Amino acid sequence: MVFSSLYFLFLYLPIVLLVYYITPLKWRNLLLLVANLIFYAWGEPVCILIMFLSIAIDYTHGMLVEANKRKGNDRGARLAVASSVIFNLALLFFFKYWDFIAGSLEAIGLTFMPKLGLSLPIGISFYTFQTMSYTIDVYRGDARVQRNIISFGTFVTLFPQLIAGPIIKYKDLGDQIDCRKHTPELFASGVQVFVVGLAKKVLLANNLGMLWDVYKALPTAELTVAGAWLGVAAFSLQLYFDFSGYSDMAVGLGRMLGFEFMRNFNYPYISKSITEFWRRWHISLGTWFREYMYIPLGGNRVSKPRLFFNLLIVWAATGIWHGASWNFLIWGLYFAALLILEKAFLGRVLERLPALLRHLYTLFFVLVSWAIFAVEDFGHMGTYLAAMFGMASGGLVNDNVGYYFISYLPMLLVGAVASTPLAAGVWKKLPEKPMRAILPVLLLAGLIFSTAYLVDATYNPFLYFRF
Amino acid sequence: MSKKYCIFITALFCAFIGVFLVANAVSPDRTFSEMENRNLEQRPTPSVKTLLSGEFMKDFESYTTDQFVVRDSWIGLKSATERVLGKQENNGVYFCDEDTLITRFDQPDSQKVADNLTNVNKFVENVDIPVAFSLIPTQAAIWADRLPEGAPNASQSDVLAQAQAAVPGALWADLYAPLWAHKGEDIFYRTDHHWTSLGAYYGYVGLAQALGYEPVSLDSYTETVRSTEFYGTVFSSSGVRWVRPDTISTFVPDTGITVTEHSYDNKGDPIEIPRSLYVESFLSVKDKYSMFLGGNQSLGVVKTPNTDKPKLLIIRDSYADSLVPFLTPHFSEIHLIDLRYYHLSLQDYIAQNDIDQALVLYSVPNFVTDTNLLWIAR
Repeated sequence: MVFSSLYFLFLYLPIVLLVYYITPLKWRNLLLLVANLIFYAWGEPVCILIMFLSIAIDYTHGMLVEANKRKGNDRGARLAVASSVIFNLALLFFFKYWDFIAGSLEAIGLTFMPKLGLSLPIGISFYTFQTMSYTIDVYRGDARVQRNIISFGTFVTLFPQLIAGPIIKYKDLGDQIDCRKHTPELFASGVQVFVVGLAKKVLLANNLGMLWDVYKALPTAELTVAGAWLGVAAFSLQLYFDFSGYSDMAVGLGRMLGFEFMRNFNYPYISKSITEFWRRWHISLGTWFREYMYIPLGGNRVSKPRLFFNLLIVWAATGIWHGASWNFLIWGLYFAALLILEKAFLGRVLERLPALLRHLYTLFFVLVSWAIFAVEDFGHMGTYLAAMFGMASGGLVNDNVGYYFISYLPMLLVGAVASTPLAAGVWKKLPEKPMRAILPVLLLAGLIFSTAYLVDATYNPFLYFRF
Repeated sequence: MSKKYCIFITALFCAFIGVFLVANAVSPDRTFSEMENRNLEQRPTPSVKTLLSGEFMKDFESYTTDQFVVRDSWIGLKSATERVLGKQENNGVYFCDEDTLITRFDQPDSQKVADNLTNVNKFVENVDIPVAFSLIPTQAAIWADRLPEGAPNASQSDVLAQAQAAVPGALWADLYAPLWAHKGEDIFYRTDHHWTSLGAYYGYVGLAQALGYEPVSLDSYTETVRSTEFYGTVFSSSGVRWVRPDTISTFVPDTGITVTEHSYDNKGDPIEIPRSLYVESFLSVKDKYSMFLGGNQSLGVVKTPNTDKPKLLIIRDSYADSLVPFLTPHFSEIHLIDLRYYHLSLQDYIAQNDIDQALVLYSVPNFVTDTNLLWIAR
């Protein structure tokens, strides 16, 4: 099930909220578990078995780690952690990467791995990372072991963040699973964040996505330089509003149920360097890789060559996490190269440049990265990038670019402004009285227009489902 | 913010989602949407099989969207918002000058076009009667000057040239020139994808040489206005609600003409259903264009009092429905076959019914997307 759908908004959500709040506190986790499973099974009834398996194994491993630690058996505890990590990675590898590797091997003439044609269970990239972090945190002493399997199951399957993040670590959520407050203040703030997220996804992302669809599908002969940039600009806004909108909805729904999740995006497009961009983009993924991969590899406190090697490894993993396809690996390595350059010398050079140039530098490289990210077919990726850099068969610009530019100009402007903290800043400066008067109007407008767009679009898949 | 205000915001949100939950539950389900001209999804019944395969969930999703309260108004709100936001198209329809809505015509799939033309060519070679072939250019081509500035618009002329060259054995009729010459007149509907009776008349003039008749002058007919309240298919798909309606008129009287639909009953036995050149009952529903010959049919036979004239077979799409009245003075019988529904041998049909000549006639957008032309060569 996706949040930006009519049956979620007007069927699942009101019923779940109603039943949740009339259920006594001690039964709420069980109720949530059931609701989560319905939410998940809605799209993938059979994949729920994989989810059960994952819950059972990670629950057991957590207990094993804790039991070994209590007995002072560090080796046993480490083994249990290793076993859990191997299991989770194997699960992810099998469902997500098997066919990709088989296909790649086949391309070079090796056919010992048959293609399985398995469909990717929704959210597997997210929940395997969450459960992996659980056993590691228990071992590190950052989290207490969860003895109640219902509470643990509720954590793994928690529907607001089940299929598209943010990737929540057990140590951040464990206490909230066992004990959380439900207040009107939290609920009302959840409503605001949720409606903002819904509007971002339905009104901005879907709309700008249509412009990207035009340029993605354009035959090579018709591609122009201006058109290629217009397309990738539309995609960059679409992806940001799609993903951050979904994260906002997750945070909002979490608050409605008494949870506080971490913020996943912090206006990434206002960054002044690539390093800063990755501190602001998909924060929960970035911190996950930092805590469970980059720092264990030695982090910053190693020699320069080792540091660059670490960065390369972490970013190759980040890239391929986004999807089983070569372009995602290239995309990750592209960022590794930029980050290494910034660490080596570019960062110090940038600091002496005027802010405007630093913004342009960042946006330029981020836009180019999205062309690599968005075009999976290698041949077409090359053509598209070449077009961006002046080698377009259709010339510099044509009438169609003018048509699309004029048609989408208001949306692009709204998108550009909405991807900066400008509007939020103005909102916070408003005196209480007008704010109280405007808020319900804005909320209703967001809900009504989103509903109209959702009714209009009978088919509305969520972009991040491939991840 | 005070606790009271937070309770108010909470209540507002819950009321919004709750109201629609209740409204959707209590409002009666519709079976058919006139606006969209299709059956709406009905409440699916779950079974173990459909639950496990996820089929039930998919059906339920379509059901929720299809049956959402005041669905048509939401769609109208969306298109109005798009217009305010500066968009010049919605759901693949351009907002054009002179209250006109025109469906986008994108570069067709060249393989599909080539396949369809090959099939037409096979048909021409298979039969031993003269075959005329023509494609009707539509609004996007003839009224291109009404499109928004710079709007992408693939060439229909290219398709016409390709079609003429690909079927050398047929008598090609050019409809572009006669329609282009009258583009200032109401030759197409502004809210529907079809041509008007007037447009069909110019088409009829364009077909004269290939079909071998002397066209009747338009002045000899009197125009009868049938409806001034017609909103067609493009109106529906665009979601646009701010244009004025179209007028449907007819020119040719239907005296002495019988129309019979040939179909099959539930048991599979052939049956004949009487129709007429103009079925006025359709004027009171949304789908008013179906007034011409009564809408879709697999096989229809039009018989005229001119028994000394030849028999014509038309392999066609719905554009032919408004053309047929003009053809009636020149033929004794006009047989209409729609390949979407008719999958029997055309060679046999021609032999069994003593057909003298055939016409293959589609609009360009229908022809380049048609998936049933393989049946023409059977």
